[in-house]
Amino acid sequence: MSALHPFSLLAIAAALPAFAWILPAPAGGLATALIAMGLTLTPGARSGSTSAGLTPRWRPGLVTFRTALVIAAPFWLFLRLLHDVPTTVAMGLRITTMVASCVWLVAVLSPDRLVEAMVARGWSLAVAYLFAATLSAVPVLKARARRIVEAQRCRGLSPRGSVANRLRALRALALPLVLSALHEVDERTLALETRGLGMGVRRTPLAAPLDRTAERVARWTLLLLCLAALIRRLA
Amino acid sequence: MRILGLDGVTFWYPATANPALENVSLDVGPGEIVALVGRGGAGASTLLLIAAGLAPRVTGGRLAGSVSRGARAGIVLPTPWTQVSGMAFTVWDEVAFGAANLGWPGHEITRHVDRALERLEIAPLASRDPATLSGGELQRVIIAGILAMDPDLVVLDEPTAELDHEGTRAVWRLVRSLAAEGKAVLLATSDVDALPDIADRIAWLEQGSVRALGEPSLLAGDAMCEAGLGTTVAGLWRAAGLGAPYPLTVVDAVQRWR
Repeated sequence: MSALHPFSLLAIAAALPAFAWILPAPAGGLATALIAMGLTLTPGARSGSTSAGLTPRWRPGLVTFRTALVIAAPFWLFLRLLHDVPTTVAMGLRITTMVASCVWLVAVLSPDRLVEAMVARGWSLAVAYLFAATLSAVPVLKARARRIVEAQRCRGLSPRGSVANRLRALRALALPLVLSALHEVDERTLALETRGLGMGVRRTPLAAPLDRTAERVARWTLLLLCLAALIRRLA
Repeated sequence: MRILGLDGVTFWYPATANPALENVSLDVGPGEIVALVGRGGAGASTLLLIAAGLAPRVTGGRLAGSVSRGARAGIVLPTPWTQVSGMAFTVWDEVAFGAANLGWPGHEITRHVDRALERLEIAPLASRDPATLSGGELQRVIIAGILAMDPDLVVLDEPTAELDHEGTRAVWRLVRSLAAEGKAVLLATSDVDALPDIADRIAWLEQGSVRALGEPSLLAGDAMCEAGLGTTVAGLWRAAGLGAPYPLTVVDAVQRWR
């Protein structure tokens, strides 16, 4: 999947939630949620990945699937508290589609390939970087959170155990995570600026991703299908 | 001819009443290496940001006085992990990030990137993921990324902070070779013992002002030794109660001793 052109990945991730809201509930939402959750199982392992008990090729997909489930679950809970069962199912499936599409996109879309694709298509580098930085924020924050947790474990603060323990650990994680992220923004801005991000010159694509005719046709087809479904629903 | 000229520069960061730099004047010519020395908070990093054209343009704040910069500048900041583009999965791409942003043709980018990798002695790392590098390796990658942009003014803020002894020596050799090519180098470092062999001039910063500007022999002066900013040899000589002028380097000390 990650070999697809970045615009194709974006198109799929945008089309699924669009269909989920356009198509009649609950069948439409169920179909899109199943497809989106199925997609979350597709991210393959990067070279060098290892895991215990599971083949490296499967593990990233399972992690992505689990992440989508964990994010979507609270929405179902709140929907059930506020609505009856049919509404909960209809809205829950749509939200699950949105969540799973986003989680899948973050897992399969390399920010550098997106920048290259956008620059090759004539977008300004600053705009392309904004998109890519948003996508790369999740893994960067995850890595930093892991480092902070490890550092705090060394000082005797365990993130496991009772609810009170976990809450204490969460509080001790949140503050340094947010503050370090904010602090890093300043330095990263300076570093990117000195490396020509704001120069206004058109960047030379280093390895623009191949955009096959079939993929371009598929993207346009998705767009037309969305429009057709919308028109049919409104008619 | 000068590549960088600061005339009576005073700089305030946003929402601060006291200037971080006050009435600083400094020139750097082609092929010249000027080193800034001072205690923490003396204003060296701020001066480097101004020299690189990032303050006040990016940092905000207010600048009085005049800054003239005749060429493109590139700055290396002290913490390498905040300087990675985040857009590259190989060291080669990371080094090429800045050069590609200049809009150069592909073959020019390749030439500059390969040369920068060779100069920093990191060519074997070209296909590695930057996220897997040590701090020292990453610092060399960042320096290579700036050199690949072929700046005429190279600004280095504590460039050896993350490096081991070998890496430090390699960077100082590189700095000398950059100057030999005619590039201007402005750097701040706490590795004052290296400066007699590297720097052409020393600027001693204190509380945002240039207290002294001159040849590296300043580092063996009584005032700098008293401030704890002289070379180790000069400091030891002074602490031992031996007479001034103090030797600047071990070689000087040996000659004096004989």
